[in-house]
Amino acid sequence: MSDSAVDAKPEVKQASKEAKESENVAEKYSALTVSRTSDLSLQGELSAVPTHKPVKKQIQFVEDKQEFSRFPTKAGRRSLSRSISQSSTDSYSSAASYTDSSDDETSPRDKTQVNSKGSTDFCVKNIKRAEFGRREIEIAEQDMSALISLRKRAQGEKPLAGAKIVGCTHITAQTAVLIETLVALGAQCRWTACNIYSTQNEVAAALTETGVAVFAWKGESEDDFWWCIDRCISTEGWQPNMILDDGGDLTHWVYKKYPNVFKQIRGIVEESVTGVHRLYQLSKAGKLCVPAMNVNDSVTKQKFDNLYCCRESILDGLKRTTDVMFGGKQVVVCGYGEVGKGCCAALKALGAIVYVTEIDPICALQACMDGFRVLKLNEVIRQVDVTITCTGNKNVVTREQLDRMKNGSIVCNMGHSNTEIDVASLRTPELTWERVRSQVDHVIWPDGKRVILLAEGRLLNLSCSTVPTFVLSITATTQALALIELYNAPEGRYKQDVYLLPKKMDEYVASLHLATFDAHLTELSDEQAKYLGLNKNGPFKPNYYRY
Amino acid sequence: MVQKNSRGNSDFCIKNIKQAEFGRREIEIAEQGKRPRELFTCRHTFEMPALMVLRKRAEGEKPLTGAKVVCCTHITAQTAVLIETLCLLGAQCRWTACNIYTTQNAVAAALAERGISVFAWKGESEDDFWWCIDRCVSLEAWQPNMILDDGGDLTHWIYKKYPTVFQKIRGIVEESVTGVHRLYQLSKAGKLCVPAMNVNDSVTKQKFDNLYCCRESILDGLKRTTDVMFGGKLVVVCGYGEVGKGCCTALKALGAIVYITEVDPICALQACMDGFRLVKLSEIMRQVDVIITCTGNKNVVGREYLDRVKNGCIVCNMGHSNTEIDVASLRTPELAWEHVRSQVDHIIWPDGRRIVLLAEGRLLNLSCSTVPTFVLSITATTQALALIELYNAPEGRYKQDVYLLPKKMDEYVASLHLPTFDAHLTELTDDQAKYLGLNKHGPFKPNYYR
Repeated sequence: MSDSAVDAKPEVKQASKEAKESENVAEKYSALTVSRTSDLSLQGELSAVPTHKPVKKQIQFVEDKQEFSRFPTKAGRRSLSRSISQSSTDSYSSAASYTDSSDDETSPRDKTQVNSKGSTDFCVKNIKRAEFGRREIEIAEQDMSALISLRKRAQGEKPLAGAKIVGCTHITAQTAVLIETLVALGAQCRWTACNIYSTQNEVAAALTETGVAVFAWKGESEDDFWWCIDRCISTEGWQPNMILDDGGDLTHWVYKKYPNVFKQIRGIVEESVTGVHRLYQLSKAGKLCVPAMNVNDSVTKQKFDNLYCCRESILDGLKRTTDVMFGGKQVVVCGYGEVGKGCCAALKALGAIVYVTEIDPICALQACMDGFRVLKLNEVIRQVDVTITCTGNKNVVTREQLDRMKNGSIVCNMGHSNTEIDVASLRTPELTWERVRSQVDHVIWPDGKRVILLAEGRLLNLSCSTVPTFVLSITATTQALALIELYNAPEGRYKQDVYLLPKKMDEYVASLHLATFDAHLTELSDEQAKYLGLNKNGPFKPNYYRY
Repeated sequence: MVQKNSRGNSDFCIKNIKQAEFGRREIEIAEQGKRPRELFTCRHTFEMPALMVLRKRAEGEKPLTGAKVVCCTHITAQTAVLIETLCLLGAQCRWTACNIYTTQNAVAAALAERGISVFAWKGESEDDFWWCIDRCVSLEAWQPNMILDDGGDLTHWIYKKYPTVFQKIRGIVEESVTGVHRLYQLSKAGKLCVPAMNVNDSVTKQKFDNLYCCRESILDGLKRTTDVMFGGKLVVVCGYGEVGKGCCTALKALGAIVYITEVDPICALQACMDGFRLVKLSEIMRQVDVIITCTGNKNVVGREYLDRVKNGCIVCNMGHSNTEIDVASLRTPELAWEHVRSQVDHIIWPDGRRIVLLAEGRLLNLSCSTVPTFVLSITATTQALALIELYNAPEGRYKQDVYLLPKKMDEYVASLHLPTFDAHLTELTDDQAKYLGLNKHGPFKPNYYR
């Protein structure tokens, strides 16, 4: 379970580029790329932190599965998921358990394993690691008090009794807490991984020990990936009636290959931007015959995943990679959405001088009123020490601008996809690339000027920082509640459309997390509730309220 | 009293037409900024830049030609800029005041001088109030086709007394929380037969009226009334909505230690993440130096709390209505009231303990502070654009319901105000617009975006 074990074991079946990763023995921050389909660099080297959803094997994948690329995402970035929440963090301290034990190179598909209850209905790397995984899960439970309290509350009534959930998310200690919560609430679950690299094998083993049918291991091949999904669905005698998805692959598979199963689904809960996008497309085309809930756009999740998480991780990511001093630095943040707001607040607090670029006049006005100059990138590019992109757009920072930056400028991206900085334009013969540290490259111009590029333009906080378990807890709780809501909704309450989480549930998620802050919520008196025209138990705000 | 303006017209009713010149200067200052000297420096900083821009743009086309607008808002130098803008855009306006105390007489005079029928003066009686509204509406030869309202009184009057006129109205633009609430009630009862636009809940106006304005005025209001030093003070802010967020930011920035009370768990979580302790009022009542209410609720601070606060505690309200602090409960024989300064009362307990009550629990920033003209500009621009939108909408575009301002217009209001900050907005390239699936000119965000 030490990091060296990871490297010692040549995870050869992963992309070949990883060979060079072995030099980064102590590296704790993974660099799983979330790259465009055309981007060859799969760097999945991994150590402690299972990150995030990168694209599976890249090119090959896209070409083989044309049907998916036809599934329109705005720019073909179907595999990009926004669920930063899945990349755990504190787990680096709770130790790297990502070693698949020892020397077992055979694919789990070829092994028959039996869990202690005698079942063979699962496929994980090594069932014997279950105990270790159990300890990991227990540690994660400490920080996920909301899910634990959800379990307690539902001890009497089991709101998911009879639910047969097929799930496709990352399999980590934190998501295991979610899965076990669902089971405690009465559901039967079959689970697979939404990412071929992020599974924590020991955790998968531990889940299997308790009877959840898990089909996932770290370092699956693409083929394995779809095989696992299929095994979840196609078992005799068991038909799923709920889907919990992250990225939309599972939903897609069921929709395409098992249309009659799809029709019997009571509800889909989708967590990522990409998956949600695909659902909206389906719905627009009139083909969505099942109600779906978009938990990506619930208030609490949005704020935590974007604003608060990035506020925490921008400084962390920059420090860990470059040790830069923030005081007095000139920084330009491109984009003043949630992520931009978080980054600007943190940088300003540490004494940086922050400029903002924006296309949206409302956000621009907010930036002005928060005390930031709103300028065009070209106006400041020569002066700034750090450039941070978080627009969701592409080619925000172009070669032209990189040519004009000053020597020693740091360039990084906090946005979801890696299209914001035009990194490809830097791979030209006259520029030299020097890899100085994991995730840090110096790009050197002929005249000696250097630009420091972080994480090759990929999402900084996943590659170079950590995501607090608290943030993951918010997401997991939201998913659990969405499942409960969809499963228990009376007939006809939800039509075949994509819904946002009802505000009351959103408020409930928030209230479950207040205990961590020792926050004492005030209650409305009956009279006050009447005066305001509200229910004492919420919802407290109209739907168009913007926190 | 019959007065005539310089053109011989007498279709108005204000305090004193002779003040028109003075009012005109006030209006000019509102248009151009408080210190005319700045006109001579390199940059003209218009305080109401957006309306001036609207006027210029509309020099050619007049989007409100044929519009007959009857309006009921405050009559101040700032709203006068709005009124005159509407006229320049082609509308005919008849105006009255939505509040019996807020009319600036000189400004009303200046408007009357320019030929606008204004019926308002400072210090009306309630009777006068309704009389003025009636004079606006009941002119024989002139039937309004648009309503611009603040508070819903005008709308209510027309709906009740002139139902035939009401049915011919093309659109209502309502600005206040109360008025919007009344419109929603009408709509729920199926009685709203006219499309209405709720400008109160447009993004820009909400942020400016609430978040930014209160952030500016909480410190100002407290300083002007009490000269309190903020650093190190223990302050409790009840409510973490827009107003609460603004107040907390400002107080924290000046070194106050801020606690928050909340009923809504989402807002509570935001407060926690912004670094504020979330407590119940009873837990800190005895320690705090300042209490600020901004919940929109009633009886947030009742007598039993006020009995326990420490000597010298300041109590004030930043919320819309004056029900948040239970002031009536302090008017009991054993408590002595001492009026020390305008808007400042000391209330003294038998044991000598005092609290400092500001503005008798009414909205602090209106009574004891100022509202930046910039903020009023945002509201006025929003109202103007909403009127233009409703008036020019094709038949059937808007049904008999209450609408929010379309996001694209909201963005337009914001963009008109950016030059004040010398802000340089970036434009999407065609390629980027396509990638994002957006129109280069907006709207840039989905409706549910916060």
